[in-house]
Amino acid sequence: MTRTGKAKSEKATVISGASIERSPRSIMGSRVETDRNLLDHIRSSQGYRGNVRLLEEESDLASLGLERYKRAVEMCAPKAIATIDAARLGVSLDKGKCILCGRCQEVAPDLFKIENGFVPPTREKRDLVESLGGRTASEGVKKSYEETGKELKEKISKMFGRSLAVREVDAGSCNGCEIEITALNNPIYDIERFGIHFVASPRHADVLLVTGVGSRNMEVALRRTYEATPNPKVVVAVGACACSGGIFGETYATNAGVDNVVPVDVYVPGCPPRPEAILQGLLSAVDRIK
Amino acid sequence: MLGRFSDRVDEIHHLNGNEVHVLLKRKEDIPDLCLYARDELKSKLSTMFCSDDRGPCGAFTLRYVFARAGGQDFFIVLTARIRADQGLPGFPLDRSLSFPSIAFQFPSAALYEREIRDMFGLFPDGSPDKRPLVLHERWPEGIYPLRKEFDVTTKVDRTGGREYKFTKVEGEGVCEIPVGPVHAGIIEPGHFRFSVLGESIINLETRLFYVHRGVEKLGEKMNLDQVLLLSERIAGDEAVANSTAYCQALERAAGVTAPERALQTRVVCAEMERIYNHLGTLAGMSTDVGFAYGSARLNILKERMMQLNEQVTGSRLLFGTNRVGGVGVELDADKVRKVRSTLKRSLHDFELVISMLRNNSSVMDRLLNTGTIARRVAVELGLTGVAARCAGVDEDTRRDHPYAAYSSLRPDKHHDSPMHLTEHEVEMQMRRGDALARFEVRVEEVVDSAAMIDQAIENMPQSGDLVVSDLRERLEPHSHALGYAESHRGQTLHWVTIGDHPDSLSRYKVRTASFVNWPAIEQAVIKDIVPDFPLINKSLDLSYAGNDL
Ligand code: SF4
Ligand code: SF4
Repeated sequence: MTRTGKAKSEKATVISGASIERSPRSIMGSRVETDRNLLDHIRSSQGYRGNVRLLEEESDLASLGLERYKRAVEMCAPKAIATIDAARLGVSLDKGKCILCGRCQEVAPDLFKIENGFVPPTREKRDLVESLGGRTASEGVKKSYEETGKELKEKISKMFGRSLAVREVDAGSCNGCEIEITALNNPIYDIERFGIHFVASPRHADVLLVTGVGSRNMEVALRRTYEATPNPKVVVAVGACACSGGIFGETYATNAGVDNVVPVDVYVPGCPPRPEAILQGLLSAVDRIK
Repeated sequence: MLGRFSDRVDEIHHLNGNEVHVLLKRKEDIPDLCLYARDELKSKLSTMFCSDDRGPCGAFTLRYVFARAGGQDFFIVLTARIRADQGLPGFPLDRSLSFPSIAFQFPSAALYEREIRDMFGLFPDGSPDKRPLVLHERWPEGIYPLRKEFDVTTKVDRTGGREYKFTKVEGEGVCEIPVGPVHAGIIEPGHFRFSVLGESIINLETRLFYVHRGVEKLGEKMNLDQVLLLSERIAGDEAVANSTAYCQALERAAGVTAPERALQTRVVCAEMERIYNHLGTLAGMSTDVGFAYGSARLNILKERMMQLNEQVTGSRLLFGTNRVGGVGVELDADKVRKVRSTLKRSLHDFELVISMLRNNSSVMDRLLNTGTIARRVAVELGLTGVAARCAGVDEDTRRDHPYAAYSSLRPDKHHDSPMHLTEHEVEMQMRRGDALARFEVRVEEVVDSAAMIDQAIENMPQSGDLVVSDLRERLEPHSHALGYAESHRGQTLHWVTIGDHPDSLSRYKVRTASFVNWPAIEQAVIKDIVPDFPLINKSLDLSYAGNDL
């Protein structure tokens, strides 16, 4: 698609949505904001809470003030922060649990940093855990939606003959994750142009997008949906709840993550993950099918 | 009241500004006093709930909260104790733990009574519906999650439990259609059992609580700040309303008011929440009548609002707006500019889209007379929010029980002068309670919300604190308060009882608008046809997560 001069000039101002305010297009026209060029630049805004990082440079906790670290552990509602090695004061951060509330940064800014990229989806749950002195702390993803989408489209057309069928199952979410999955279908994200279709029945699906804690009352329905999905199938757990139980954790009514109910192939952390992250998760899912 | 019931009432005291607590001597008097509150004091049963107070006072406490209607801002809380002398822990199962049911006089009480039975093991005597509600099959009898001896992380066996019997409609040609819990679209789970005659629905029974996560019990295990994060995640699209109600409950219990700047910020964010959700619902209605063009336009507007949400609060769902005692978001000049310009432009576009929809007879025709809620039903079920207003029941927590900065705003522009008041009353009388009325109410509210945001920004002090600092020091153990807010679905009520430690809760009761409004759908669909069900459901915009907790 050729880019018009106007779209180019918008590029500089798009960050944090400024261009949207200025765009002169009318809502009733046919191109409106669905204009793809705009999408090259949808990035999270400056203050977006998308990723939390352990700051690596300062690995000596004692010098940072153990007190503040302890406060952070106490504050963290989903218990994402843990001490892995008391002697060396090793710290671990489970991004599958993190709900991105920002409390840890407030009490211990020298140890935790909230950023506006999003946490990359992973295939293994343990890859969501990072630790000081261990694996390198990962940066949030800043890849644009459009880039991911194009990559995905190519893969889908090679492997599935142009279309990937996705079935969404809510297994105990707060509906926040549903809102973001719904957003993928709005004319701005417009996921269908990458060949991804949301289907009404698991029998038509290649991928199950599962949200929520895996609530006790949904166990049977979730298992049945999984069984009704033809092989090969991939299950993507969307959101902190689906990855680990999120803020709800493990209760009499929840299962601390949907992988305690059905096998999960890809984990998309975030509370909720933004649409870009969910798309990235679908890309990992397609890779998984090979 | 004391004069008439002096032999039945132990004490009456006034709390937190607008709560009148009436402690009954005996539980047997509950029905009489409830009827008195409704018929003589002209108030409406807003919620009823139980708490396990066997620790501090050797009894379960039942509370019936009535809201005074008609412009008087107070709540009447009838309190009765159910003695349980056996004490803690390991309390044996005992049928003698019962209380008189009021479900025949108050249809809206039936669900609360079933909830109390499931969660506390207190039995409503003479209740018409004895089926479980929250706990589904494979939950053993005799385990009650909200009792104090039950730990929130207990792994309960998946055995036993009672079979759930749906109402059977019998007759020639009557068929049953079971739908769910997993639905066709990207929506939350719930089960619907239709009985149909041909295409017409003659009965609908909903069965919910598939996404029950144990919110209330979890609240007893967390500190106050963590419960705030939890309250945002009761229903993601009602994050501001629920967290505002929760924060307010704490602020009232502590006897503090959040700083003016925080109060205005709450209004701005709450109305932004209303706008993006109403846009989503209107878009969904447009989809469900088969008009994709309209829904695409409205979804663009919703996405714009969600991007604005992110710029203002760092979350597309407005998570992080509230803090205990204030707000966590500073609306600086830059944000204010963004809010204003986005709203101005979106409102302009919104009007274009809406007038297109209104001029489209195939859309209007589907909405007209579909999913009608009669006014009588709205009153009897005690509906709230759009579901009540669409049927001409004039209720709005923002006006009836002003909170945040709403007392200085006009949520309802019609109350300016006697003439406007009359006009407004006439309009209310004309509302038909159908999907079209809900469409119009939502459209009107989007416009009103934008105006309120403008006013709140106007009234906002440029500087000053965002949070009151000494809230926690002022909280007394075991004190309690009610917090409330009007979400885009209606009134949400949060009750907090502070625990032994002032940074904890011993009871967190949440009653969202969805809990109250769900029964309305069973009435609204009668005589409509099955293909209209998605539209009716969408037009009511009920939350499963908010209901199931
Ligand atoms: S941002 Fe994440 S890690 Fe930090 S306190 Fe919140 S939930 Fe815990
Ligand atoms: S991850 Fe967060 S947004 Fe998603 S369902 Fe859980 S609480 Fe809601």
